[in-house]
Amino acid sequence: MSSRRYAGPLRGVVFFALLASLPSFNLAHWVLNILVFTLMYAVMSSSWNLVGGFAGYPSLGHAAFFGIGAYAMALWFQHHAIHSGYEPFLLLPLVGLLAAAIGLPVAVIAMRTRSDVFAIVTITLLFVTQTLAFNLRGLTNGAQGLSIAAPPFSAGTFERPFYYTLIVLLALAMGITFGVMRSKLGLSLAAVRADEDKARGIGVRVLGVKLLSFSVSVGLTAMVGGIWAYYEGFIYPQFAVDPLVTIAIVLMTFLGGRATLWGPVLGAFILETGQQTLAYSLGGSQFYLIAYAMVFLLVMLLMPRGIVPSIQDRLRQRRRRIEVDAGAPRPSSPRMTRSSDTRSSVPALKGHG
Amino acid sequence: MQLHNRLRTTSSLVAGLAAIALVITGCASKGGGGGSTAATSGANGSPLIIGASVSLTGDFSDSGKAVQRGYQLWADTVNAKGGILGRKVQIKIVDDASSPTQVVTNYQNLINKDHVDLTFGPFSTLLTIPASQVAKRYGYAFLAPAGGGPDVFKQNLTNFFFVQPAPTTQSGDVFANWILSLSPADRPKTAAYAELDDPFSAPIAENIRTKFEAAGIQTVYKQVYPSETQDLSPVMAAIAAKHPDVIIGGTQSVDAYAQIKALVQLKYSPKFMFQSNGANSPLEYPNKVGAGNTTGVMSSADWFPGSKASGSDAFTADYTKKFGGTAQQVDDNSAEAYATGQLIEAVAAKTGKLDNATIISSLHSGSWPTVLGDLSWGANGAPTGEFNLVQWQGGKLLPVYPSGVSQAAPVFPKPNWGG
Amino acid sequence: MHALIQGIILGVLTAGVYALMASGQTLIFGIMKVVNLAQGAMVILGAYLSYQLFTSFGIDPLLAIPITTVAMFILGVAVQLLFLRPLKAEDRSELSLLVTFAVALLLEGIMSVTWKTSVRSINTGYANSSWTVFGYQITLVRLWAFLLSIAALLVLYLLLNRTRFGRAIRATVQNPESARLLGVESSRVSALGFGLGAATAAAAGSVYGLLYPFNSGSHYDLISRLLSIVLLGGLGSIGGAVVGALIVSTSSAVVASAISPSWSEMTFFVILLLVLLIRPQGLFGTTARGAI
Repeated sequence: MSSRRYAGPLRGVVFFALLASLPSFNLAHWVLNILVFTLMYAVMSSSWNLVGGFAGYPSLGHAAFFGIGAYAMALWFQHHAIHSGYEPFLLLPLVGLLAAAIGLPVAVIAMRTRSDVFAIVTITLLFVTQTLAFNLRGLTNGAQGLSIAAPPFSAGTFERPFYYTLIVLLALAMGITFGVMRSKLGLSLAAVRADEDKARGIGVRVLGVKLLSFSVSVGLTAMVGGIWAYYEGFIYPQFAVDPLVTIAIVLMTFLGGRATLWGPVLGAFILETGQQTLAYSLGGSQFYLIAYAMVFLLVMLLMPRGIVPSIQDRLRQRRRRIEVDAGAPRPSSPRMTRSSDTRSSVPALKGHG
Repeated sequence: MQLHNRLRTTSSLVAGLAAIALVITGCASKGGGGGSTAATSGANGSPLIIGASVSLTGDFSDSGKAVQRGYQLWADTVNAKGGILGRKVQIKIVDDASSPTQVVTNYQNLINKDHVDLTFGPFSTLLTIPASQVAKRYGYAFLAPAGGGPDVFKQNLTNFFFVQPAPTTQSGDVFANWILSLSPADRPKTAAYAELDDPFSAPIAENIRTKFEAAGIQTVYKQVYPSETQDLSPVMAAIAAKHPDVIIGGTQSVDAYAQIKALVQLKYSPKFMFQSNGANSPLEYPNKVGAGNTTGVMSSADWFPGSKASGSDAFTADYTKKFGGTAQQVDDNSAEAYATGQLIEAVAAKTGKLDNATIISSLHSGSWPTVLGDLSWGANGAPTGEFNLVQWQGGKLLPVYPSGVSQAAPVFPKPNWGG
Repeated sequence: MHALIQGIILGVLTAGVYALMASGQTLIFGIMKVVNLAQGAMVILGAYLSYQLFTSFGIDPLLAIPITTVAMFILGVAVQLLFLRPLKAEDRSELSLLVTFAVALLLEGIMSVTWKTSVRSINTGYANSSWTVFGYQITLVRLWAFLLSIAALLVLYLLLNRTRFGRAIRATVQNPESARLLGVESSRVSALGFGLGAATAAAAGSVYGLLYPFNSGSHYDLISRLLSIVLLGGLGSIGGAVVGALIVSTSSAVVASAISPSWSEMTFFVILLLVLLIRPQGLFGTTARGAI
């Protein structure tokens, strides 16, 4: 079994080596551009997964922190010049810490509720944040928006600093996820998701675990917001604090598979590249809304737990069948693990990777 | 509305799922067939491909389609004459669904994937800055028929040209100038302002307010409302209670109708009524507020039926022939898009070239005739002209000021609602 | 003071239509424990149907209501059978959010194709009439909308309290387990209940179309308001939906009149947050799903 133990980290190393080497293949700018946006969503859905997937708190307010990151970045560079073009990237850790600090009290209050009520409390916070971005004109310049000076990078390698920074953030987000899944923290989160009261009963420090995952998650999200603001060059309240961003992140995570390491990343790669390419190539046909909704419904009905868990089930079943055929002792009933794994069973969680 | 606008684009953002299969097949077919434009572009006789991103889905889709019609009409007209410098014009329109992310991708793709020869600006006004930055990076001239807010010009983009007579936020100045040209006895004494919180609406009213206050017209009420406001009756009721002589609406479209509806219900008719946008829509406005309620309402416009500007008669005739309807039903967004094409044609005729560097340097000097009148630009792409004041009279939208273009004398004080 | 009272009048008159929409949504939740994100889209579809009947045949929205409610009832039953029933019980609460959102997108797409996206309004002959009572302005169309909504709510009330079907629904809301023991077929009640929620949306849509201009994307504005109203009142409580609608409409109209429209949306979001944090089940909710 030891070879399987290293399969996870190995997969990660290959994935990131491939990602990092992509620009050296002289990819066209339009490809890199789509990858930049895709990585942004991959980081955000991986981060969302920490709260929405592992802890089972479906936050719809993450876009508020995306906006806080974007505004923090834009506001800082209203008063500071950009010379080399790399200053905004150096500021990112501070942006993340700021958002994590704001996230703490928010989590203390919002995480008193659960499930749909939590979802709606957090989306309410998002609307409040958007209203503040519009109305606090002295700070945010309101509906007029804020600009950030264009990066002085040459056109030939323009996307690369954004791209590499996002790879680092993705590695961070996935590394944290991996660490969580392999540690006691992962078990604690799974316990919280399954039954918070029982978790408290068996000695899990519920509040601490929840707060930690929420702050880390929104900190990462805000850093992406900061990069996005710099890449776009101009932010308006309705784009920076955008319920659409939340919806996209949630969908990506659900599509790929909640509470898995690769699910959110897979979801982001499918949805974001798909949408960017589709909108460009198919253009303004209203029918694609209908087509999208139909496919969306089909996926929800046929693969309600997402792609990664569904594939894992298949693989696990096949492996068992092989083991059974070979006369190996059969472990527990495959049915049991299948129906319970992402919902509540703690051991099932450890199998992913 | 902005929530709704933005959310409206969910359609496209989440459209990805449906895309999976399409993308795979799409990529494969593209690898096989397309890709020839890059190699052959620039050669004489090959088509001149012009790319533009327009919002064809969402709230602005009607205006987006009007822009598309304007571009297409211009291309057809030029091609009927044998093209520009012997090259047939092809317009490639893509949809950005009002998303700032998608618009960047679209211009990246137009420039680096499809290697279009020229780019025209997006229609969605909030997307102009990210889009023009991409165009600038690759040395493309960026002619935009919409989105001329002050922030765009603050970017000091040398490749940017806003194809309207003046920056959007100054479109109401012509109303202020007309009011201030009246004799002191005729002028309003008090003014109220109801402004949509949007970079292209409230600032128009604010510019008028600055001019009015400097001329001693007292501000009795001012309110900014967010774009999702469904009900403007509280704002209009507060205005009616102050009995101002003039009401200035910094409006976009739906809110312009809502303002009038509320005033009609309140039975308050001011002596002067100006709305920056919405009221200049010849088809929608009477339909939405009732034809009888339009009389006397003022707005501003760059193009209007019967304009004597360069090529306007041919434009109107071709438009009604191709798309049907009457001259009164031609959307000014189409005229602005058509004018954008006219500029390219004019540069080619003058210089014999069609490359981006020539277009940029040419348009920065001199003035250029279009259906919107003669246009010229400052170094930052801000046009240096003025809009026309239009007023609803007898169910028609007529230019009334400045006198050079007017077809009728302005009527004031405004008749009561329904008359 | 004048502005304050005018705001209250406006808010109360507007509350009717929101109470109607929200009662449908809260009913669906009560029966199926599903937060229906497509309720806004159903309202807009109702408005379009009403618009079409008015422009094509000159049928007044009042008379259109019986036709649109029947049509939407059938649609609601179909949506429940096709998309919600197949969900496994343990996934239902989370997945139903996504599924009903997808249904909202589907309806939006169909509406965009059928009616395009330009803004429509139902301009009846009485659209601009108004009275002034003691210096306060009351528009005929608003009063009319209010009365229509009250009438529809009354019909809903009678349906729930005076019919066998209504008793079955109420039994399911209060205790699904014992309802089943008493012979109520919960799957049938769910389908019919979803249909009833959709029919309520249709009636509300006819009224909404009278009051406001709308297009296929308008449902996003509606759904955030509806969610606030049903949560404020307590999920599953129709009386709560009515009170929630009154609070939300009145507070936003008063703030819009007396302070500024810019802060009016914020007001009820803040009220909602405060209520939820103190009483997660809402004002009249009995059980607090997801609350500690």
